Parts: sequence; C-alpha cells; structure tokens
Amino acid sequence: MSSLGQLPIWASKPCIMGIDEAGRGPVLGPMVYGCLYCARSYQKILSTLQFADSKTLKEQKREELFEELKTNKSIGWAVDVIDPRDLSAKMLKKNKVNLNEISHNSAIGLVRKTLDLGVLLTEVYVDTVGDPEKYRVKLSEIFPAIKFVVTKKADSLYPVVSGASIVAKVTRDRALRDWVLDETAENMQRNFGSGYPGDPETKAWLDHHKHTLFGFPTLVRFSWGTCNAYSKDSVEVVWESDASEEDESNGRASKRQMKLTNIGFTGVKTKSEDIESSGKGRCKFFQARKLELLSQF
Amino acid sequence: MERSNNGISGTIVLNGNLPPEKVVDLTGKVHQLPCCIKFNGPSDVLHYFKPKSTGVIVDGLSVEEAHFRGRKLQGTTVPIPQGYSGFVLGKKMSDEKRKRSEEDSSCWEMKAKFQNITLWNHDSLPSENDASLRAFHLFSVAAALHRPVSVEDLEAASIDQELEQ
Repeated sequence: MSSLGQLPIWASKPCIMGIDEAGRGPVLGPMVYGCLYCARSYQKILSTLQFADSKTLKEQKREELFEELKTNKSIGWAVDVIDPRDLSAKMLKKNKVNLNEISHNSAIGLVRKTLDLGVLLTEVYVDTVGDPEKYRVKLSEIFPAIKFVVTKKADSLYPVVSGASIVAKVTRDRALRDWVLDETAENMQRNFGSGYPGDPETKAWLDHHKHTLFGFPTLVRFSWGTCNAYSKDSVEVVWESDASEEDESNGRASKRQMKLTNIGFTGVKTKSEDIESSGKGRCKFFQARKLELLSQF
Repeated sequence: MERSNNGISGTIVLNGNLPPEKVVDLTGKVHQLPCCIKFNGPSDVLHYFKPKSTGVIVDGLSVEEAHFRGRKLQGTTVPIPQGYSGFVLGKKMSDEKRKRSEEDSSCWEMKAKFQNITLWNHDSLPSENDASLRAFHLFSVAAALHRPVSVEDLEAASIDQELEQ
C-alpha cells in the first residue's frame, strides 16, 4: 500500500525519507514497516506538523495525523504489512530467518519501491534494528547513492521518522482491528488486546485460544518465546527438519531414536527402532523410493 | 496367529462384510504432513487446517499452501492411479478380544478408503522428485512386470536377441 498515483514534481528534487516499524514486539498480528518521504526543502514545514513518536501520541491523535498526512500533497508514504503467518514461517524455516533480517529486508523493500517510483531519495533516516553501524553499512552497500542515518530513537529525533512511525502504527492497529481470523471454530473471539506479551487482555486471549493440537490460530507468531508457556498440555509434534538437525549434531543420535520410538508410527515394535529401515539388501529402485515390502506387521 | 523370530505375520481384510456404499470415503481429506503428530484421535481439522490453492504449477503439480504450528507447508494433491486405492487400516477386534489384549492382534481391517492424497513438504515446493511421489513409480513398474506376455512379445524379443548377436 502506498500513496502515490502520479509522481509529483517535488519527487524529482532531492528527497528525504523516514522508516519506522510497528508491532515488532507483539506475539500476535502483523508487523508493519512504514515510510514517509518528502522533498528536502519541505523539511521545515514538516517539523511544524506535530508529528511525534507514535508511542507518545494517543490513538485518536495518531489516526487524525494519519488522515492529515494522507491528504498532504507534499508527502508520500508506503507500508509493508508482514503477515504473522509469514513471520512464523520464516522464523521456523529449515534455514531460519531471524526477525532482524526480516526487518532489514522490509526496510530495504520500501526504499527500493520508492526509488522504483522515480522518487529521488538522497537521505534516509532509519530507527535501528540490531547494531546501527552494521545496519547502516548494509543499507549503504545496497543503495550507494543514498546517505543513511541509522540511530536509536530516530522516531523521536527526526520528524520524517516520527511521521513514518505514525503511518506504521496506525496501519498495524487497523490491521489488527479488522483482522479476519482464518480459523472457523465457534469459540473464536477478537479481543486480542495490544498483542504485547505482557498485556493481560492478550494473555487471556492466548489462554482462551490455545489448542492442544494446532497450537494457536495463525494470527499468533508461533516463533515467539511467549508461546512456549502455553504449550504445556499440547500434543508433541516432531518435524522431519528438526529430526535431521539433531541427527547432524554429534551425540544426539540416540536421543532421536528414543524420541522416534515413542511416536508409535509402527504398530509393532520392531527390533530396529528407527523410523526408516536402512534399506540394506533392498533393490535400489525400492530404496530410492522408500518402498519396503512388509510381510510382518 | 503365527509367530516367528522376525515378528508377527498379519492379515488385512479389505472388504469385510460392508457393502461398498457403506465404506467411509476420505477422498480429499487425507494429508501426509512432514512431521509426526504424537496424537491419535479426532480433532477440529476443518476449522484449523486451511489449505489454499496458490495457482502455481510445478512439474505439472498444482501447488497448495497451508500452515501448521506456524510452519509453512507446500503440497499437492495427487490421485491414486486407477485400479488402486488408499486404505486406512485399523486393528480388527471383536469386543471379547479387545478385552483380552489390544497389542497382540495382527488382524487388520479397512476403516476407510481414499482415491487421492495431499502430500505436504515443509517450506519446499512439491516436486516429482519427492520420495512419496516417486513411490508411485511402482505402479507402472508393477503393471509392466505383471502384464501377460503375448506371442508377439516373445517373437519381438527373440528378433531383438538375434539382431544383437
């Protein structure tokens, strides 16, 4: 989602951009990256628009400011909404992608998209994720023509980042408010709270929506440590990818075997307690296709 | 029941006494997941497991997407070839036997039947090289092996042989 239909004239003059995120900490809902940009010559007016770090503003004020900036023809903006399903999936992939990398990629995507629109970005201000200097170098290598300022609390230091934080925060709040749950079970409720792990309303919602087999609705970020506290009574699930991971690290092979015998895949406990037979003596055709003739079961 | 050193010989009863229309048909509902769920029993699968078609086609396989326990699954639904069926088997037990022992029964019976299966991978696209799909190669190999040999086949084979010599 972004603001520009037709490229305004100011976009071909040197422009500044702010990037900020909302919903990085919560255990549920999307994470939103937002950006706001304008001509460098507009900076002075921008600082009079009362943009402040979105966290210090009341929700209603944020909504008002967002509506205002949407109608402001001297400002452009865009958001990247990262679905909680994608966050969980990426962080639980075989080759895990951590949250910092997801965040970096989202910010990079926003810069690239804005450049592709034809906006002449010369300076970009970013609230840091991880080490600021490393992040700055990473961004500068990808976009050598842009000067990057990466710093903590950028959202309260630079109005253009404050503006971006409002875009991100309002979008995140609305996305959560209008969230359509994938799950169709009858007891589903929408009182998610803020989504922060410490929020009593969020805690109550998690407690009410945990499921022994499926874990949680897909609104929840399964990769968050918070989820573990709710998985006490849940059914154990062993993933092929995790099993092979354990297999690779030394000394854990026996643990794996023990685990797999508990699974109860096989109706009869055979002597080899592995999930798959070694395939020794079987024709290659069958070995390669994991086919085995069972005469005893 | 026959015991040997290698285990227990089992039997499978596929039709039992059920008329065909009474057989439970699970076509479209059988999924093979890339994980082991240590649970046996009913669950709200339809409410929580929501495969969606992606529109992507790989190796002629139509790719579906679903999420389970936060992981992204990519899968494809493949038909069981004609002349074959998928079966869900369970231990066959009379009530009397059930009381005596559950473990020792080696007599299985069909509980349900299915004509397709959805095979899921954990974040890799389905491909014709997936082991489960490759297992289907057996069907054509078996068909070739068991096809009756005709007089023409024998003649053709002997001509080939003569040519080679």
